[in-house]
Amino acid sequence: MSADPNLAIRVEHLSKRFRIPLDRSATLKHRMTHWRSATRYRIMEALRDVSFEVSAGEFIGIIGHNGSGKSTLLKILSRIYRPDAGVVAVEGKVSPFLELGVGFNPELTARENIFLSGAILGLGRAELHRLFDEIIGFAELEQFVDHKLKNFSSGMEVRLAFSLAIQAHAEILMMDEVLAVGDASFQQKCFDIFARYKREGRTVVLVTHELGAVMTYCDRALLLDHGRLVADGAAADVTAQYRRAIGLAADGSLTSTEVERWGSRDVVVTGVRMLDSRGLVDLNPATGGSVRVEIGYGIQHDAIADFVCVVWLLRDDGLMVSEASLPVSQYAQVGDSQREAGGTIRFDIPQLPLLDGAYSIDIEIQGRRDGAIYDHLKHAVHFRVIDKRARRGVVESGGVWSVVAGEQPPDTWQDPLG
Amino acid sequence: MSARADTEVPAGATGNGAQLNSFSHYRHLTLELAISQFKLRYTQSVLGYLWSLLKPAMIFGIIYVIFVVLFDVRDGTQYYGIQLLLGIVVWTFFAECTALSMQAIASNGGLIRKAYFPRSILVIAASLTSLFTFLINLCLVIVIAAALHQIDIGLRIVAVIPLLLELYMLALGISFFLGSLFVQYRDVGHLWEVLMQLLFYGSGVMFSLSYVLQRLHLARGVGVTTNYRPRDLWMAWLVVCNPIMQICEDLRHALVTPQAPWTETIVTGHLAAVHQYAALDVPWLLPMPFLVVALILAAGAFTFRARARNFAETL
Repeated sequence: MSADPNLAIRVEHLSKRFRIPLDRSATLKHRMTHWRSATRYRIMEALRDVSFEVSAGEFIGIIGHNGSGKSTLLKILSRIYRPDAGVVAVEGKVSPFLELGVGFNPELTARENIFLSGAILGLGRAELHRLFDEIIGFAELEQFVDHKLKNFSSGMEVRLAFSLAIQAHAEILMMDEVLAVGDASFQQKCFDIFARYKREGRTVVLVTHELGAVMTYCDRALLLDHGRLVADGAAADVTAQYRRAIGLAADGSLTSTEVERWGSRDVVVTGVRMLDSRGLVDLNPATGGSVRVEIGYGIQHDAIADFVCVVWLLRDDGLMVSEASLPVSQYAQVGDSQREAGGTIRFDIPQLPLLDGAYSIDIEIQGRRDGAIYDHLKHAVHFRVIDKRARRGVVESGGVWSVVAGEQPPDTWQDPLG
Repeated sequence: MSARADTEVPAGATGNGAQLNSFSHYRHLTLELAISQFKLRYTQSVLGYLWSLLKPAMIFGIIYVIFVVLFDVRDGTQYYGIQLLLGIVVWTFFAECTALSMQAIASNGGLIRKAYFPRSILVIAASLTSLFTFLINLCLVIVIAAALHQIDIGLRIVAVIPLLLELYMLALGISFFLGSLFVQYRDVGHLWEVLMQLLFYGSGVMFSLSYVLQRLHLARGVGVTTNYRPRDLWMAWLVVCNPIMQICEDLRHALVTPQAPWTETIVTGHLAAVHQYAALDVPWLLPMPFLVVALILAAGAFTFRARARNFAETL
């Protein structure tokens, strides 16, 4: 099969889909009472026709937003998941673990955990005996060898896991978000090890959100988007492309680091723009002018059919000026991969009532039935309203003046002064 | 798009000298898992491992009071106490092994989602944990029996080895079956609990098979052929097809006393009585329970194998 002996990983037309049961009650009773109707599923295409090759000794990073299929790909490479279609060929001994501390049990002591977790990492008993002092020493846990893991601080636990993991002598290492745990000094240790792996010429596949690490250590990077391989090339180019993709609009109104953001990301806001009547980006609208807010969204999850988009206008001191919401329905056709998994929501304000001041927009995408927060962006857009007449206040009343000469109010009018 | 969906991962790749081949690695992993599970079972308890001895002893006490003090089922059985103890130890192993192994996959979701190894290792490790306890308990029964002079050891004892093997294969087969189904259908857990209750009474743990059949014959009146009904034949079939009863019975014969006859002898006698003492030649009686066990193990392993690929995704 492998014409090129230098090839470590070969993936051809790999596809993986998950069937997510619509009714979670997959019990026997359910199967018996609903035996006629097949269980309904939503198909989530985790990976679609992915092909790439990795040469031995390459350090490769896989990046992409949450739910893009990074971890699924890594799990298929390490045989935890099975592919639905395509060929996956891995030449060499693969590390059988994806994370640090796999198999750790809080009720066991550090010593017992080393032998248990070490066995999962593929280390033999004799070998573990030989390496034991080194592992404990590297983790700086000499005094805690026979303490239960549950009494360890998270830092100690990570140190132990790490010093054990680096003993695994696999030729191909798969690592999923190892950098997500641990403090700065731990991350530095990780980077040192990465550098060592690179020197030793081991093949490493790293899944991470740390673009800096990808730039520094990876020769190559793969960018996944909704299960598709959208970029495969030099780490610097691919990370730049990814930055552009998440950096959103060119007007700089939203970058992923500046915005406070939370939510399950089942539906994500992919971009926010504020436009004027000519359709140009304008962050200094005039009172009474026409304003359009464009919100790009992406559905990450085929199980989600409808959601609610909420827009709040806030003054810079936090006063909520106005709230507007729109229910959005986009029913998925199961198995229809042609379906647009996103779109643009437009929010038009024909005559902006805001008066002079600094404002911002908060955007939230919610679940329609349960109100779950899918994506919340605080201060997604900052803008400054300019009122040519410099009136004070928050909103223009929209009132119309008129004067009628010679006419008095009726008798019911009370003179306020009595 | 290629329709092939396979993963080719050559195992014997080159590596540095210390590398293990996958078989010895997996054997090592199985043992490590079994050892840590054994430790975990008795952590946070004052009596620790003693519980695995105390539990059968307590059950023994309860059953002894009910079936000897209240309703005397001994009926001249030689060394009834030890026979009962042996039955309880066998039963405890079977019950524990299936209960533990059933959850072996479902309770190790983190491991399954984060690391690759053959999933059957988890079930085998869980069964080994119970097997280890069982073997210790079995040795204790022999020691107690010897101390009370309630044991008659002969060449029959050789039969203990295939019988224990049969028992372990049976427990393992059922564990594979339950373990793989439990991942998706938790109902299996409840169902199995009830089934175990039925099996407990249907497996002659607290009375011998000959006792049951004797009562049956007495009730019918031995020799009065017209009194026999088809269901008396089913009884024999049921006994032959229930390996636990056969194992209990035969272990008693092999280990405790020749007075407790081989299952085959009992069933042959029963069939002979049903068939009006006609000379019978039933060659399938002896291999039948072993066949049943082999079938259960094969079905369990097959079910497990078919479902194992989806464990990581289901959990």
